[in-house]
Amino acid sequence: MARQEKKKDVVIVGLGWTGSIAGIELAQEGLDIVALERGEDQSVVPTFKYPNQIDELKYGVRNTNFQHPSRQTVTVRRNEGENALPYRVLGSFLPGNGVGGAGTHWNGLNWRPQPVELQLRSHVRDHWGEQIIPDDMVLQDYPVTYDEMEPFFTRFEKVAGISGYAGNLKGEIREGGNPFEGWRSEDYPMPPMKTTYDASLFAEAAKKAGCHPFPAPAGIASQAYTNPYGMQMGPCNYCGFCERYGCYQYSKSMPQTATLDALKAYPNFSYRTGAEVLRVEMAEDGKTATGVTYFDHAAQEEVFQPADIVILSSYQLNNVHLMLLSGIGQPYNAVTGEGVTGKNYAYQMNGGITLFFKDKNFNPFVGHGANGQAIDDYSISQIDFGAEGFIGGAYWRAGTFNGQPIRSMPLPKGTPTWGAGWKEGIGEWYGHAMSIGSHGSHMSYKTNHLDLDPTYKDPHGRPLMRMTFNWNQNDLRMNQFQKRMMEPIAEMMGADSWQAGFKDVGAQYDVRPYQTTHNTGGHIMSDSPTTGAVNKFSQAWDKHNVFCMGAGNFVQNTQYNPTGMVGGLAYHTVHAIRTQYLSNPRPLV
Amino acid sequence: MYKALRILAGLVILGVVCLLAFIFVPVQRTEPATELAADWTPAPGQGEYVMNAGDCVACHTAPDGETLAGGRAIESPMGTIWSTNITPDKENGIGDWSFADFRAAMIDGVTPNGTHLYPAMPYENYRLMKEEDLRALYDYLMADVKPVAVANKETSLSFPFNMRFGIRAWNWLALSHGPGFTPLEKTEAEDRGQYLVEGPGHCAACHSPRNTFMAQDGVTADNGSFLSGGVIGGWNAPSLRGEGSAPQQWSVEEMASYLATGRNAHSTANGEMGLVVEHSLQYLTDEDNIAIAAFLKGIDGEKVAVPSSFANAGPIVTPTAPADDAGKATAEMLTAAEPGLPEGARLYLDNCSACHFVTGKGAAGIFPELQGNHLVTGSEVGPLVSVILHGAEVMPTAKRPMHLVMQGYADRLSDDEVAELSTWLRQAWGNDAGAVSAADVAAQREAPTH
Amino acid sequence: MTDLPGIPSRRNFLKASAASVALVGVAAQAKAQGNAPAVAPLDQYQPEFLNADEWAFVMAATARLIPSEGNGPGAIEARVPVFIDLQLAGSYGTADMWYMEGPHDPTASADRGWQTPLNPAELYRQAIPAFDAWCESTQGAKFAELDADKQDAALTALQKGEPKLAPELSIFFTTLLANTKEGYFADPMYGGNHGMASWVYLGFPGARAAFREWPERHNIKYPLGPVSIKGERA
Repeated sequence: MARQEKKKDVVIVGLGWTGSIAGIELAQEGLDIVALERGEDQSVVPTFKYPNQIDELKYGVRNTNFQHPSRQTVTVRRNEGENALPYRVLGSFLPGNGVGGAGTHWNGLNWRPQPVELQLRSHVRDHWGEQIIPDDMVLQDYPVTYDEMEPFFTRFEKVAGISGYAGNLKGEIREGGNPFEGWRSEDYPMPPMKTTYDASLFAEAAKKAGCHPFPAPAGIASQAYTNPYGMQMGPCNYCGFCERYGCYQYSKSMPQTATLDALKAYPNFSYRTGAEVLRVEMAEDGKTATGVTYFDHAAQEEVFQPADIVILSSYQLNNVHLMLLSGIGQPYNAVTGEGVTGKNYAYQMNGGITLFFKDKNFNPFVGHGANGQAIDDYSISQIDFGAEGFIGGAYWRAGTFNGQPIRSMPLPKGTPTWGAGWKEGIGEWYGHAMSIGSHGSHMSYKTNHLDLDPTYKDPHGRPLMRMTFNWNQNDLRMNQFQKRMMEPIAEMMGADSWQAGFKDVGAQYDVRPYQTTHNTGGHIMSDSPTTGAVNKFSQAWDKHNVFCMGAGNFVQNTQYNPTGMVGGLAYHTVHAIRTQYLSNPRPLV
Repeated sequence: MYKALRILAGLVILGVVCLLAFIFVPVQRTEPATELAADWTPAPGQGEYVMNAGDCVACHTAPDGETLAGGRAIESPMGTIWSTNITPDKENGIGDWSFADFRAAMIDGVTPNGTHLYPAMPYENYRLMKEEDLRALYDYLMADVKPVAVANKETSLSFPFNMRFGIRAWNWLALSHGPGFTPLEKTEAEDRGQYLVEGPGHCAACHSPRNTFMAQDGVTADNGSFLSGGVIGGWNAPSLRGEGSAPQQWSVEEMASYLATGRNAHSTANGEMGLVVEHSLQYLTDEDNIAIAAFLKGIDGEKVAVPSSFANAGPIVTPTAPADDAGKATAEMLTAAEPGLPEGARLYLDNCSACHFVTGKGAAGIFPELQGNHLVTGSEVGPLVSVILHGAEVMPTAKRPMHLVMQGYADRLSDDEVAELSTWLRQAWGNDAGAVSAADVAAQREAPTH
Repeated sequence: MTDLPGIPSRRNFLKASAASVALVGVAAQAKAQGNAPAVAPLDQYQPEFLNADEWAFVMAATARLIPSEGNGPGAIEARVPVFIDLQLAGSYGTADMWYMEGPHDPTASADRGWQTPLNPAELYRQAIPAFDAWCESTQGAKFAELDADKQDAALTALQKGEPKLAPELSIFFTTLLANTKEGYFADPMYGGNHGMASWVYLGFPGARAAFREWPERHNIKYPLGPVSIKGERA
């Protein structure tokens, strides 16, 4: 018999970006709130303190800051016919763990989607007709528009502390900003970061090619910053330890710099660490949840935490896992196309070109995760899908982001991977290479989805979640398009040599190399209960007191890093809870 | 708390000499400065507010102990002074005290049975508190504080410091002022600030120098020595007057922000001052912190513009400051980062420049300036060395909830290296202070708790 | 009250004292050694995990993967074998953070990730004798006893999968090469990258992590040598 805790108004599952946003906004309503975090408590000091965090082996290679697969993982197969095997060692993606979640170890690239990305099916239908949509693609509009979301994007950017330069200020296009972005009601909270040498070379070439470079929007403080909650950031010193690391300098947008201490100041909020939620419990009528059952790692026992509202704000994969285990939404069936939970798992399609210059010094260790100049000239809003034969797009960016030598050692093609030639190569080329990355959209497909694995179990005896995922020809064609567009610009830059790395048609998903931690979908938002798991307010269609936050809401993945959208949706959801749900708990749609 | 130690040293002289003269004379209580009407009652919340302004909790609460139940140790070479239980528990606290008893303790340092309090209790300053505030505080302690049955620990100092009547002689010399408050009659805000500073805030206890008998040299604002700087427990309590002082260098908003949040565009509150912010100042109204800041700004006669707010909600962006003329040469050397730097400069780049930058200017509200920082250049080197070795923190406050922590470097830097680094810091960017030795560092590695 | 960082308590004092003793030791040695801590020569090193044959193999193999000749330190100067031994003796060797539940399919293609049932320590333990046996049968001696050219040829064969080791061991070369580079580039506190020599070779400043003045200093090579997590300077 599980131990039972005192009932709360709200239980939050996972204390990262969205959990802490929900916590602080609902705490302002005076609700009695508890957050359950399966990992450990994490603060800038001591968790991420200098110099200990500046340890590529421990954090960059051994992946100590993330979810450890021994505690939780997924199985992966590329198609229905393949035997799913566990993702035993982290590689392709790095789910977060602990207070602050993945928000502690992201790169800080904070984008908004383009307006057309949220109405992508309509955009395609209106311009080219629905016949260009491939049969296996599940293309839907988001049930929210950019205009509806704009105040919430702005709110999140102020809280998170984003550095950048608006290219579209209330419709006015500004030189030096991104002319293809959605309109902004205000400029970025902070001025843009400085431009490193590699980024300036890229921007120069891109301009010559007729493109429109702008500083990448960074969840990194360019100056000292105080946010609306009174939380603070210190100016970044370009140490290059962003992705995979917590920021020791209080410079990266993290729950630790944006929300957590302000949240902890509310007496009506508390949180428990080492509290791993095992399932959401349902009322007998099946229409609402009654709370959650979690495993208390300190006491080594199961605990039932009753609550009136359940907010699932764990990492996307864990949210979907909990929903599948708890019966929230009908599980998606890839054969019939019916069901909603686990549907539309999507990812990111990336490529890039590395350039080598004998006589240029890039000091690759000087930078940050969101460094550089970017262009949106080959983004979703700028491409003629009908003519090009795919749906999607990408932004490009050049900017040094880490020179950590175990993982960041680009060498010209033909350099041996070991031996005297390798050693000579690293001496010759370290610091003399730069890259341009293409960060592309990933559509949703009938064949890419999440369900429960029939074979493998986690330490609690629960089935692991199974990911069925492979690259799709549509996105690979998009990737090859980006390669064709990028090569002439790279050629213009006058490198001694350069080499492209873009997955081509036929590529198979490889779980080993890091790609992105932009796992999306699985509990997508929709206009109707038959097409998605949650409504536009992230409210479970079939359990109105369960709200599911995060990138699991993404109908298909955008061409951008997801955090800006995740943060905007979190504020949109919490606003609805505050203004519509609390006074009259019910399905809001 | 260390002030007690030095006060007691002065008592050596007085205690012995005056022993016989005072031993048989009955203790007198000072009459109240104002008579309150019989039906006077404090405004709601006034008593708790006075308690916060007087920083009572900091001393009268033991680590992990019940609030105001006493038991906090104040170490001295003569023995431990234990703070007492001031909850209304009749057995152990002040439950049996009349208001007259309470007032006598607050302004004369005398308990109902005639025993003298050790002047670790700042009755030199509380003596200046208004009768209304004393009464409000008394009512609050009696009615709103939960009685806690925790026995007082006996303070037993060695002879002659255990002869409490010796304090009577000291009191004769120290208590020539008051009771009650006399405003300088400047602006309303400055007069309010003067009251908080002189009376409940007992700022002079640390920030005024001590005279020969270790009494505060300058208890009220009409005295030129008032707040002209002291040394407390090895920390410089910097002068709050004159050209280079923080109140003159900072704006009133910046000073108010420092008081209320422990941080501003220049500095952060550490050591004893950090505790004052944590336990007292952050609970004052914005108007009162502005009043204190305004009073300090105008203390030497300058006319003060009183701002309406400070430390507002963000977004607030504060650009980092470039190096100034005094700091330029240091900043240029550090920017070039050439091999062959002096060892202190190399240590600075390897350990400090990430946050405090090559300019030594830090960043507003989060990384303190090192150029011209009294903690860096003070006569006492212990605090600087202690911060390098053991780190520092700024506690969460209502307006700035972030708990800011600097990590220590005790496990990365040797005594020699910390000495080298500290000496370099005290001479970089135009700083002009003496060298720090490895022995200074060794002493701080082993420094006892506050 | 908890231990406030700014206010040393007795507990901190004890810790600090222990640390200072350790540091004085390091510093004293460092002065004699040009800031790299004094360590036992590799031939006197007592491995924590590897047995004598395994140690001989790791010494020989890493010496070819990153040879001493040419510019920059080799794996031996960088003490990479020590790093590998310590890693295998610790939580990496036992795969503490990894999902190691069965069933396992070691025959799965490489792009399915780590699917052998062996953890890294077991992998080394089984792969080294298997590879040595192959060297003996094809080259007439264990790997460590071959000359450098033959060793290079054997490693090339291993990289290509020519020895046809058991499927559980197919990931051995990849793992060995990765661990060798880790030991070459990781912070010296893990036993390799001795004297931060690989960082000096590259011009990587190690754990300094403070470059606010540098993003706009275009095309100027950063001049200052590295610092390690423990504060060694080069």
